Amino acid sequence: MFSFIVRRIVSGVVALFVVSSLTFFLLYFSATSVARNILGESATQAQVHQKEIELGLDQPLVGRYLHWLGGVLHGDFGVSWFTSRSVVGSIFDRLPVTLSLVLVTIAIVAIVATLVGVAAAVRRGWIDRLLQIVSIAGSAIPQFVIAIIVVTIFAIKLHWLPATGYVPLGGNPGGWAVSLVLPVVALAISAVASTAQQVRSATINVLSKDYVRTLRSRGLAPREILFRHVLRGAAPAGMTVLSLQFIVMLGGVVVIEQIFALPGMGFLALQSTIQGDMPVLMGVVVYIVLIVVIVNLLVDLAVGWLNPKARVS
Amino acid sequence: MKLRPRVALAAIVTTAALVLTGCSAGGSDGSTNTGKTATGGTLTIGTLVDVKSFDPAQSHIGHYLQFDQPVYDSLLRRKPDGTLIPMLAKKWSYNADKTVLTLNLRDDVTFTDGTKLDADAVKVNLDRFRTGNGPDASTLAQIESVDAKDATTVVITLKAPDPALLDYLGNADGFIASPKAIDGGKIDTAPVGSGPYTLDASATVAGSTYTFVKNPKYWDPSLQVYDKIVLKPILDTTAMLNALLSGQVNAALLTAKTEAQAKSGGFTEYRYPTDWQGLLIFDRDGKMVPALANVKVRQAINYAIDKKTLLKQVGQGLGTVTNQVFGPTTAAYDKSLDNSYPYDPAKAKKLLAEAGYSDGFSVSMPTVSGFFDPALTAGIGQNLADVGITVNWVNVAGADFISGMVQGKFAMSWFSLFQGSPWVAANQIITPNATYNPFHTTDPKVESMVDTIQKGSEADQAKAAKQLNDYVTAQAWFAPFYRPDQIFFTDKNTTTTPQAQQAIPSIYSYAPKK
Repeated sequence: MFSFIVRRIVSGVVALFVVSSLTFFLLYFSATSVARNILGESATQAQVHQKEIELGLDQPLVGRYLHWLGGVLHGDFGVSWFTSRSVVGSIFDRLPVTLSLVLVTIAIVAIVATLVGVAAAVRRGWIDRLLQIVSIAGSAIPQFVIAIIVVTIFAIKLHWLPATGYVPLGGNPGGWAVSLVLPVVALAISAVASTAQQVRSATINVLSKDYVRTLRSRGLAPREILFRHVLRGAAPAGMTVLSLQFIVMLGGVVVIEQIFALPGMGFLALQSTIQGDMPVLMGVVVYIVLIVVIVNLLVDLAVGWLNPKARVS
Repeated sequence: MKLRPRVALAAIVTTAALVLTGCSAGGSDGSTNTGKTATGGTLTIGTLVDVKSFDPAQSHIGHYLQFDQPVYDSLLRRKPDGTLIPMLAKKWSYNADKTVLTLNLRDDVTFTDGTKLDADAVKVNLDRFRTGNGPDASTLAQIESVDAKDATTVVITLKAPDPALLDYLGNADGFIASPKAIDGGKIDTAPVGSGPYTLDASATVAGSTYTFVKNPKYWDPSLQVYDKIVLKPILDTTAMLNALLSGQVNAALLTAKTEAQAKSGGFTEYRYPTDWQGLLIFDRDGKMVPALANVKVRQAINYAIDKKTLLKQVGQGLGTVTNQVFGPTTAAYDKSLDNSYPYDPAKAKKLLAEAGYSDGFSVSMPTVSGFFDPALTAGIGQNLADVGITVNWVNVAGADFISGMVQGKFAMSWFSLFQGSPWVAANQIITPNATYNPFHTTDPKVESMVDTIQKGSEADQAKAAKQLNDYVTAQAWFAPFYRPDQIFFTDKNTTTTPQAQQAIPSIYSYAPKK
């Protein structure tokens, strides 16, 4: 198990290094006139040139990269070119918003998809058919359409929930939960639909295994077979799908953050990309990759713990 | 049924760990009033931008003023119609040749950190603004020096007269922060001014909610209409509409596309122009596209564009068709110039033939995905193609659009530009060194008129501005389409007055509806 963990950590660090380096070089080649954008349209060419020197944009690519990497290794991601705020400070302002949104959604998806998927696999019949229909509908409707529908009904018509904005968890958990309801619903519906399908398939697959038949023939109660043996066999597939959903959500949450005016990481990434705010964008990339690596590691560990064969592979 | 511990843990691996992590991911800021409509004492405004910095040296005109006005007083104040009235400066006067401006300050103003306002504080702020790297620093480029003559007298010496200086001092340039707080180094996130409100950090969430509470020792309580002002950055226009319709904000700037829904929802609408949209014909000397050197070609472009149809299709008809670049709130404006070049493709073809371009010509123009309405580029391209001019659209990154134009990479471009005072507009698009005159084209007549606008008496300035407008319109230096309306809404509890030459009303112009 120890070498399994070490292998996973090493591959995570390599992924982090490769992705962040590639991003840095790609940004260099798509470089925008950032100094002009910072100083405004009325700045003179001399002022723009001075700003470029100040930002180190006159330095060669490799020198800039090593300077950035050296800072990151010491925990210094620099400051935003546009706001002069520390990159880490900006990210830590935004990270709780995105993590709240994505983790609450994943938790709800995990619970609902497991219940629905297992019920459909065990009971089949109308529940299963309903799941098929709802899954297709849920996967087909884009998240932003769901977002607009729920905002129109619950915020604009009924005034039950806020249409926009975020309330921090600290000091006002109730406000935090209320501010997340609509964005989480918008994110969760399609994720529940596809995850429930995967859980259903995995459960059916395990239910058809020989050892389950043997357990049945030994007279074990169906509930005991399901909870003790079948769920354990089906869990790795469910967790893998959830980890993929988590990664997709981290990337796709920008649309939901925009519709609900949530000051999250997606929005920060979008803004810094449009402006060409390289220190912020690089900081966002590193943190997002780090989160993805950690989640993948946790899922791998859980799967390896549940299924010893996975540790070997 | 009893579960073995490992199995029980497995069942919650996909949920509990993630949920627990989520629960610990909250921020440390205090509560906000999300979802709450104003109840007399609170004004909540949706803003289309988020503040970049509270440092007054980084202040910027337009939308960003909303974040500075609650906390900072400015030297002068602009009334909604643009008239300048005293604020921190009680009086001001120029010398005869308008190169020395003397400001007399109030002596009863204290910053919220207890520091007293004096001429030294004003000097510190103006010097920081003009020598810093803020977006509007270049607007004070004409200042030679700022001197504190005595505790309440500031003398500003100019290199040359600047007719827009007083206006600037009532705008982003004139905000005065406590010098002690500036020295403290945290002014960008913790503003300390002498304004009617102070930023309540405990009720502020960066990027989402900025709460300002009354400054109890403020010297002019008439500017403290509300107990509390909350600014909510909502950068998506649909989200802004939803926030207004659901009662989260009392006031919001919407767009032509979201106007109808707010209007049908019973909100009060304010429509006013601040910009013009159309073509900037940069290459008037024909360095890149020789045809553009001919005035008949430039006039043909003006006749070729179906401005009414474009306004209807792109701006939902909310605006006014025009052929002049100067706005109705300026001395240069001449209503008759709004219809100098009615849509007339036959006349456009005739002018092109007279100029020797009966077979037309090609021109490249920039476009930005997501910023240019497809109906706009299709309309412009079709209108010009109808008279023989082929447009090659060059897709550029949003961040490169302006720099591409000001560096002279394009002979022509569509753009939306602010309509400031004649002097501001001249320096923006007309003078040889204007930002949007990348080929530095000029002629003696224009230079003479601009000189009068800069140095003449008020009456002469107004006359020269009108002449300049008439001249550049006749010479077709530009091909304006229309002035799109800014579309602002307030709810039933709130009223406001739009601010001349500004996209949004000033903070001082809101009040509860009686």
